[in-house]
Amino acid sequence: MASLLFYLLAATALLATLLCITRRSPVHAVIFLINAFFALALMFYLLGAPLIAAWEVIVYAGAIMVLFLFVIMTLDLSPDSQRPALSRGQWAPVLLLFLLLLVSAGLILTFDPASQASVPLFYASPRSFGAALFDRYGLAVEIVSFQLLFAAVGAYYLGRRRKARQAEESS
Amino acid sequence: MTVTELIALLPLMILALGATALLLLARGSVGRSWPLVVGALVALCAALSALLLPPCLMEVGGMYAAGPYARFFIALWSLATAATLISSSAYLTRRQLPSGEYTALLLFAAAGMGLLSSAVSLSGIFLALEAFTLVFYVLIAFNKDCPLGAEAGLKYLVPGGVAAGLLAFGMALLYAASGSLQLPAATAALLSGAPMQSVALAGMALLLAAFAFKLSLAPFHFWTPDVYQGAPAPVTGLLASGSKGAVIAALLTLTATLPAAPAIFEPVLITLALLSMVVGTLCALAQSNVKRMLAYSSVVHMGFVLTGLLCWNHTGRTAALFYLVGYSVITLGIFAVITSFSADKEPQQLSDYRGLARRQPLRALALTVLLLALAGLPPTVGFMGKLAIFSAALSAGYPLLAIIGILVSVVSIYFYLQPVIQMYMPSSSSAEAVEGHAGEYTVIALCLVLTLAFGLFPGPLLELIARLTP
Repeated sequence: MASLLFYLLAATALLATLLCITRRSPVHAVIFLINAFFALALMFYLLGAPLIAAWEVIVYAGAIMVLFLFVIMTLDLSPDSQRPALSRGQWAPVLLLFLLLLVSAGLILTFDPASQASVPLFYASPRSFGAALFDRYGLAVEIVSFQLLFAAVGAYYLGRRRKARQAEESS
Repeated sequence: MTVTELIALLPLMILALGATALLLLARGSVGRSWPLVVGALVALCAALSALLLPPCLMEVGGMYAAGPYARFFIALWSLATAATLISSSAYLTRRQLPSGEYTALLLFAAAGMGLLSSAVSLSGIFLALEAFTLVFYVLIAFNKDCPLGAEAGLKYLVPGGVAAGLLAFGMALLYAASGSLQLPAATAALLSGAPMQSVALAGMALLLAAFAFKLSLAPFHFWTPDVYQGAPAPVTGLLASGSKGAVIAALLTLTATLPAAPAIFEPVLITLALLSMVVGTLCALAQSNVKRMLAYSSVVHMGFVLTGLLCWNHTGRTAALFYLVGYSVITLGIFAVITSFSADKEPQQLSDYRGLARRQPLRALALTVLLLALAGLPPTVGFMGKLAIFSAALSAGYPLLAIIGILVSVVSIYFYLQPVIQMYMPSSSSAEAVEGHAGEYTVIALCLVLTLAFGLFPGPLLELIARLTP
């Protein structure tokens, strides 16, 4: 059961990613990417890592993709490049992927193959995950946080307008 | 993290924390050079602590080594960063660029390069590589008034993103095949007879492609000339020496874990090295822009270093590292001269160099010697490095690589001499001489002395590197 579900989800994720990179409209691409993230989340759950599954949904499908959508909205695309999509050819793949995900989620909830997965505890419980993250991988966390700090500084510097800087100088 | 681990990481912590402190203290300081001086002192402290403090641990967190090999590179990149900082004071002031942010970013880049050179796990390689690549995106586009700079930043960003994707994918495959991110264990899956060897080989292929992007080996070199042209001259110096050198150091650690090149990769690596030498030279011949010419020449030099690594023995690796050190010193010197020649505009076209020898005889002479060192003429470190690489290639059974390398070196004298000829031609232009600053003179003189010293007395450095090399 578990391996059947895995292949079903893997196929869904692959299909969704393929559709994502072949769409012309960025909004459609983002929708397919969210689809792929959901499939990945279910796969993590299937492997016995409910915590990472939840994060996949919250961080990737939730936060990052919403950010993508906002960016696309602020890009202010011209009207003809985002026609309303109502044709059957555009609905069919979304519907298919949605049904696939729904069926797999239903199967996972009914049979719960994840309970039989034997993975180390720290993938599963938030406490042991946190302990492993900040103890065993503490150095990696530190490096990433430094990296993000300097990336933010750089983005702030590059994004600031020259005029604002000159005003700052003269004051 | 224990206290011992923190002490083992002290040089890198000095760099990273120094960068953060400068960010807080010197934010938005335009036209002041004290942040640069403080930054250079921080980098010197890091280099001294790396050289003088005996390492108390060999490995930290299973990700980074703290042994002599790592310490050597941390010291080298810290010194390179200090030289870059000292030589860019006048450049920044003239362009009204904020020195605080610049210093902080460069110091963190040094920390990232040091980390990458000491990485002993795949995750360590990835984190460190991304750490300094992210900083370089910003540094390349640092001059916001220059549209070429923004273009260069973008052209570094896109291949950099692709390379990061390839790297992550390759590491995932290696991990899937070996079940470990630790270096000797992770690459053990590449040995013949290991289960899932094909998956590991696919992962290694992706990893190699990512490294080739970062080293700008042909045919992954297309971003290089545009980035060199658009980036500020001092940043280009560090990009050419430190960022590529750190990747080489990591690649060397990776190759040293395998007893021999996997049979599938040997022809691939030979092709990469040959293509880099030939394509780089042919493209450099056609350039009229000095920075673009240096970009293509870096492609050629990375081909030489790869030849050294390809020998897959201790001699070859020692030669590659010796070459790398020499190349870094020469490149830093050349870009320091270009920085010091820069008035409001950097001298990039060959015609900008016309008659410079009359106006600035000392720096013109220094540039001449450094360019000839890059071409590999004795008595410079460039010659000794090439000698070491080619003799290692010959004794390891790669005569073709050595012969092509020697031919390419002969041809390269032509394009390295072009700016020299221009500088010593009489010029009718009344352009006034650009005053050099004490910091620039110091760095140029230091690089020049080291270039000649390592060329005349290569013994001690070679011996040191031979002892460090795994």
